[in-house]
This record gives sequence, C-alpha cells and structure tokens, in this order.
Amino acid sequence: MSNYDLAPLTDPTNQVLWESLNSAGIGLALVDGNASLTVSNESAATWLGIPGGIHTSATPISAIEPLKSGGLIDKLRAMISNDPGEDTPPCRFHTRSVDGTPLCATARLTSKAPHAGRQLLIMLMREPVREISEPPALSGPEELQILSSVASALSSSNDLDYILKTILTGATASQGLGFNRAFLFLYDNPTNSLSGYLAVGPSSPEEAGRIWGNLEANRVSLSELLSGQPDDTQVQSGSTQGMVASINIDLNPDSLIAKACTQKTWLNLEALDTVDSVTKEFSSRIGTQKLALVPLVSKGNLMGLLAADNLITGRPICDDAVQLLQVFADQAAVAMERAGLYEEQKERTREVEKINTLLAESQEHIIKIEKMSVIGELTASIAHELRNPLTIIGGFANLMLKSTTIDEQKEYLNIIAGETRRAESVLNHVLDFSKASRNESTRIDFSRLVEKNLALLIGRLRCPAELMRLLAAQSEIWVYGNYDQISHAVYQFLRLVAEEIIPPGKAEITTEVIQERAVMTVRLIVDNEHRDGTIKALRQIFTDNKTSQRLTVLVAGEAVRFHGGNFGLSIGNDRLPSLFVELPLAKEADHVGTHYNN
Amino acid sequence: MSAHIIIIDDDRNIRLLYEHELSCEGYQVATASSAAEAIEKASAEPFNLAILDIEMPDMSGLELLGKLRELRPNMPVILNSAYSTYKSDFKSWLADAYVVKSSDIEPLKQTVKEMLSNYGS
Repeated sequence: MSNYDLAPLTDPTNQVLWESLNSAGIGLALVDGNASLTVSNESAATWLGIPGGIHTSATPISAIEPLKSGGLIDKLRAMISNDPGEDTPPCRFHTRSVDGTPLCATARLTSKAPHAGRQLLIMLMREPVREISEPPALSGPEELQILSSVASALSSSNDLDYILKTILTGATASQGLGFNRAFLFLYDNPTNSLSGYLAVGPSSPEEAGRIWGNLEANRVSLSELLSGQPDDTQVQSGSTQGMVASINIDLNPDSLIAKACTQKTWLNLEALDTVDSVTKEFSSRIGTQKLALVPLVSKGNLMGLLAADNLITGRPICDDAVQLLQVFADQAAVAMERAGLYEEQKERTREVEKINTLLAESQEHIIKIEKMSVIGELTASIAHELRNPLTIIGGFANLMLKSTTIDEQKEYLNIIAGETRRAESVLNHVLDFSKASRNESTRIDFSRLVEKNLALLIGRLRCPAELMRLLAAQSEIWVYGNYDQISHAVYQFLRLVAEEIIPPGKAEITTEVIQERAVMTVRLIVDNEHRDGTIKALRQIFTDNKTSQRLTVLVAGEAVRFHGGNFGLSIGNDRLPSLFVELPLAKEADHVGTHYNN
Repeated sequence: MSAHIIIIDDDRNIRLLYEHELSCEGYQVATASSAAEAIEKASAEPFNLAILDIEMPDMSGLELLGKLRELRPNMPVILNSAYSTYKSDFKSWLADAYVVKSSDIEPLKQTVKEMLSNYGS
C-alpha cells in the first residue's frame, strides 16, 4: 500500500472496505499520536486481542500483547514521535496473534486522516506459510520406531559432527520428533558454560516454506534421512546457525537453565515472564517464548544442552514431547561420549604410533650401533690376530737385514719390512676405530672438535700453523654422535689434505651450517704450478682403491656416513680443490650428554 | 754374566724371532711354549726376566703372571701381546711393563734393557 488516502474510518460507506478487508484476512488498525490504538477492523481486533471491534476506546499499544516482542513498541513510538510529516518507509515486522497465529505486519505513518491528524497505520496479515495441520500424537510404536532409527544412526558413526547433526535432524524432521527448530549447546567444563554449536531449522516462515517444501518433495523415511544426512542447505538456516554460534550461557549464576543442567532434568518453558534473567536473555536471543530444554547427560556427566521450539508453526510443546526428546537426548549423549572417547583413542593411537615409529628408528639405530660394535669387536679380533704374523714377517726381515750383505737381498728385505710397517699402520687405524666404536653418543660442538683436531695435527706434523688455518668457525654448531669416531674421521681427513700440501700452498678450514648440516670445508690454496697435480693426487686418494690412504678414507668415511653425514672432494669456480665433511645437526631430542671439548 | 731371559709364547716363530734378537743382544734366552712349561722351567732355575704372551692355550698369560709372581717375586715380567686392550685389565698391573707386539723389535729390546737395569742382572 502506498500513498493511501484513508477516508474517515468511521464513514459508513467504508464499512464495505472494512468488511472486505476482514474477508480477505487483512487486519487494519490505527494508532494515534499518543501511541494508543483507536480503531481496528475485526480481524485486527481478534488477532491483537483488542475488545471493542471497529470502534475501540484507545488502548495503549504497550498493553497489546502481540506488539510486545522484539522492542516493537519502542519502534512504533519512535515512528510516532519522530514523524517527519510525510510518507515514511514502512516498518515491517513479524509477530503472533494472541492465539498464536503467525502474522506479518506493516506499520506506516499515514498521509492524512481527517480529524485525526497523522496516525500510524498497522496492517496485519497471516504469514504466507503452508498450512501445517497439527500432526497426530505419536503412538507408542511410532515413538519406538523414531528412537530406534535415531539410535541406529547414532551407533553407525564415531564422528562427532555426524552425531550432532543426526541429533538435530532427528529432533526436527517431520518423520522424527517434528520440532520446528533445534539448537545444540556443548558444555565446557573449565568455564562451566554452554556454547552454541549447531542449529537446525528455519528462521522465518518463508524459509520454513522453502526448507520444508524441499524435504517434502524428497520425502524419505527417517532412517534414510538420517543415513543420507541431507545437504545442509536443505535443513539448516544460515541465520539460525549464525545466531546460535554467538550464544554462550554461563551456568554459574543460578538460573533455570543452570538448574536443568545441574539436576539433569528437562524443562518445558511456556512463559518467560517470571523466569530469571539468564533464561530470559537466552530465549530472547533465540527469539522464542516457548521452548523445550533437555540436558545431554552421559554417566552423570553433562555433555551439553538441546533446545527445541515450534516458533514457525506455533504448535504447543507438550510434556510428553519433551520427555521423548529427553530419551532422545540421552541416546545422543552416550553417542557423543563414545565419539569423544573414540577421538581420544584415535589421538592416543596416533601418539602410540608415533612412539612406535620413534622406537623402531631407535631400535634400528641401536642395532646399527650394536652391529658397529660387533663389527668393531670382530675387527679388533682380526686385527690382533694379524699382529702376530706381521710381527714375525717384519721382525725376521729386520733380522736378516742386519746380517745380509747382498744388496739385492737388502733391497727385498727392506721392501718386506716396509710393507709390514704399512700393514701394521692399517691395523692401528682399524683398532683405533674399533676402540672408538665402544663409546656412547653425545652432543658435540663441531667447530671445537675441528679446532682441536687441527691443533693436534699441526702439533704431530710439527708444521707451521699457517699451513692449515682455521679461517672461520661458526659457534654453536651441534652434532650428535660418537665423539671419538667423528674426531678420528676429521683428524684423518685433515691429515690427508695436509700431506698433499706443497709449500707455499696452504689450507683454509671453515666450519658452518649449510642447509641444516654442519659442514667442515678444507680449501687448498695452491699455486697454478701445483694445482693440477694436487687435484689429481686428491682425486686418486678418494677414488683409487690401490692407494695407501684408501683404507684411511674408507674408515674415516665410514665413521662419517654412520652418523648420517657425507664427505667428498669438490673443485671451486676458482679451480681450487676443497674437501668437505658434513654431518646432520643434532636434534633437540639428542640430549644424552654433551661433549664440550675441554 | 749375561742376563737369563725366558720367552713364553705359544707361537714358535715369535719365540724364534725373539730368541735371535735377544741373543744378538748378548742375553741367554730360554723359551717356553705353554704355561705349564714356563712354570716348570721357572721353578727349575731363576730367570732375570720373563717376556710373557697373554693369549696362550692352556692358561691365560695374566693368570700365569700371578703364578710367576708367587714363584719368582723379584723377577721382572714384560707382558708382550698383540692385544692392547689388556692394558686396562688390572691383572696386567702385576707386570712391570706392557709392550704391544710389532715387527719393530726395538721397543721390546729397549724395555728389556731398562727392566734389567732397574732390577739388576
């Protein structure tokens, strides 16, 4: 209606108009400047509960029950007092008649009404919702069937979200308990409060028409509905869900809701006039005056709260329905607890699997260490067994050298003695390594280890310190492993390089972290004349099986690889050779002792 | 009078080698191939020094060391072994010296000389 020119409402000729409006199911009422309803047609009078019919003594709008919800009276008063003197956009609102009929209404300041000045016109119509006839009360077998279907659905899954949706679907489906809307709140023990989690049901009659129309068109049995878990848009309202998600109910203050939760009893709220503020606030947030509240309790523990109402249809909620909802909620609480336990179990299983994996890795590591230890023992035994023969061969060669005068024989005996000494040196290497294998693993300061072994090498070779210089050592590079083995490896690699340095060449050593690895780089600074020869010699050491240093490389290399590291020779862009040794950094968990290299 | 040394080792060639080497040094050298033989010989005559291998078939050299100590408490004993690990065995502390076997006999000969000098020949 726009720009309507109302003839005097008391004009007899307009009785026809008024009667017509009655027949059409449209209620019309006028509110004067004092916020009192003065005139209404029969439909409006019936819906609003106003005595007097068309002509009524002024009834303050604050006394009209259907106008009391949602701050409507204040809105209407504001419209009247802030009247701009011309047609204003209408205020649309929804309410219910005194007998519960859903109504949609439009309030508008009229352009003119004779002798009455500016007045507020309220037009009322029934909500355009499909007639929902009162379903017949459920029979015992039907109740059992519903409970059975829901129980079956609840027991089919341990997924908490599925369980929660099943609960609400079962409560709101017409094949189920048939409530218009259902809300689920989950209990938080530490804060002793309920938090809105899930809601199902339309927020308005229009939405109800759409949702229920869809469901009706695809009508299936409750079991099929629960197992199919229809698309959320078919059953859920975004605004309803949004509304419930923002609700938090503190159970600490004394309230009906708190009592229901602590005493584990259901509530059928019919009127909120005399309830506590917490319950009233809750109902107001949901937008309903009448609702059922059932706590979800499993083994005496509060899991949550289920609220349900019939806001759209206005169907009264009887105690029997709430009791049935409680039985339903009890099943749901058990399922929720089971789901919670299942999740806990899954988490524990994940933890155990993780530990098992770590254990397996540790076992593997231990076996590897044990193998190394056994190999170490075996190697030591073999090495010692070889000592006797070598002692005899070399010893007699030396003995004969003292007595022979034949040069050729001397030469051969020297060769025998020399090779015997070489073999003994190999044995010493192997025995050193096998001895080192028996020690435990610790966290090692890698830079300090390199520094120490470099100093030891320079001392033993009695070479100038400038020959091999620790150019840069990053501090706090921690690796984890057998100190003696790693030390042995580093010392041997440094020695190999030192032996290939031809003065005035020198070596520069750095330690640093590169891509989560501790890296020692020994860069040879060689002049052009000796560069190619040095590179060739180093390559031979690292690749040729026949070189005397091959076993040194093997043993030292094995120590590095055993610790998850690597080593090698590289030629830089400047064509200078570098030897690198890298080891993985110690992990946080590697804290079995620490070697401080003092 | 030159020192009388007994070499106790189950390896014939080791005995032969040491016998040659030490004889060239001017010592009188006797040998024993087993613990039993060593005890028999040590009981029969006093030796100035014993060179004792540890790994022997009939008795461990460390055990034999104990018996030799009882028999000849003043006789210096040099443990001579291919195994360096026995150095950490407290029983080896009964010996006066520990020399690891090597084709280079000089360290052994040097130790013999020192022992005999310390204990008098």
